[in-house]
Amino acid sequence: MAESEKMICPRCGVEMNRHAEKVDYAAGLAEPEAVDPELGGVVEEFHTCPSCGQTLSRRAV
Amino acid sequence: MAGTRPLFIPVILGTSRQGRMSEHVARFVFGELSKRGGVETELIDIRELDFPTGDEGSTIKNAKFSETAMRADGFLLVVPEYNHGYPGLLKHALDTNLAEYIHKAVGICGVSAGPFGGTRVIQNLLPVMRELGLVTIFWDGNFSSVQNAFDASGELTETAYVRRLDKFFKELIWMAKVLRHGRENVGIEDE
Repeated sequence: MAESEKMICPRCGVEMNRHAEKVDYAAGLAEPEAVDPELGGVVEEFHTCPSCGQTLSRRAV
Repeated sequence: MAGTRPLFIPVILGTSRQGRMSEHVARFVFGELSKRGGVETELIDIRELDFPTGDEGSTIKNAKFSETAMRADGFLLVVPEYNHGYPGLLKHALDTNLAEYIHKAVGICGVSAGPFGGTRVIQNLLPVMRELGLVTIFWDGNFSSVQNAFDASGELTETAYVRRLDKFFKELIWMAKVLRHGRENVGIEDE
C-alpha cells in the first residue's frame, strides 16, 4: 500500500509516526461522501511525534 | 529526547459520589505510583472536571483533561463497582477523547464494599477500554471490603496491598514504555 504523506509535528517540526487507524462510523452519517465504501465508515489516521509524544489525527486520504 | 522523558501515568478517580471510599484508594495508589523512578503522575478527580450533561463526546471536551490525556503514556483508573457496573460519569468523561488514548496502557483498580474487589466492574470496562484504543494490562488492583482496608483518615491499614500493587505497577510501567516506543517508532505499515 502506498505510504501517505508524513505528518509533521507542529511543536517539534519532525516527522510523526503513523501507528493507528480507526473507522469512524458516526462521522459517515454527517459526511456520507467521506465514507470508504469497503470499510463502511470514515477512516481516521493517528500519528505520534517521536520527539514530544503528542498524537494527532487526520482523515485518511 | 524521547528516551529521556519520564513516563506520565495519571490516576483517574472515577466516581463523584459523596462519601466515596474510592478516594482513599486513589490517593493511596497515587502515592505509591509517585514513588516510582522515571514516572510522573497526577491525580484527576472526575468530580472536578465538571462536564456538562446536555451533550456527549468530543463536543464537550475539557481542555485541561484532554491535554493531560494527550501527555499521558498510560492511565490508572480507580473505579468503584456500582450495581456491577461503572459510574456513568466516568464513561461520560472518558468518551470526550479518542486520539489522546490510542495505543496507551491502562490499568484498573476495582473497588467494592463486598468480597470481589471490583472484578465485575473491571470486566465491564474492558470492552470500553478497547474501543477507546487503550491497551489493558493483565494485572488488576482489587480492593475488596474497602471499608476495612483504610482507617477513617484514609490511611491504609491492610498493608498487603503495597506488595500486590507493586506487581500491578511493574506491568503498567512496562506496557506504557513499550507502547510509547511503538507509538513513536513503529509504523502501521511496517512489516
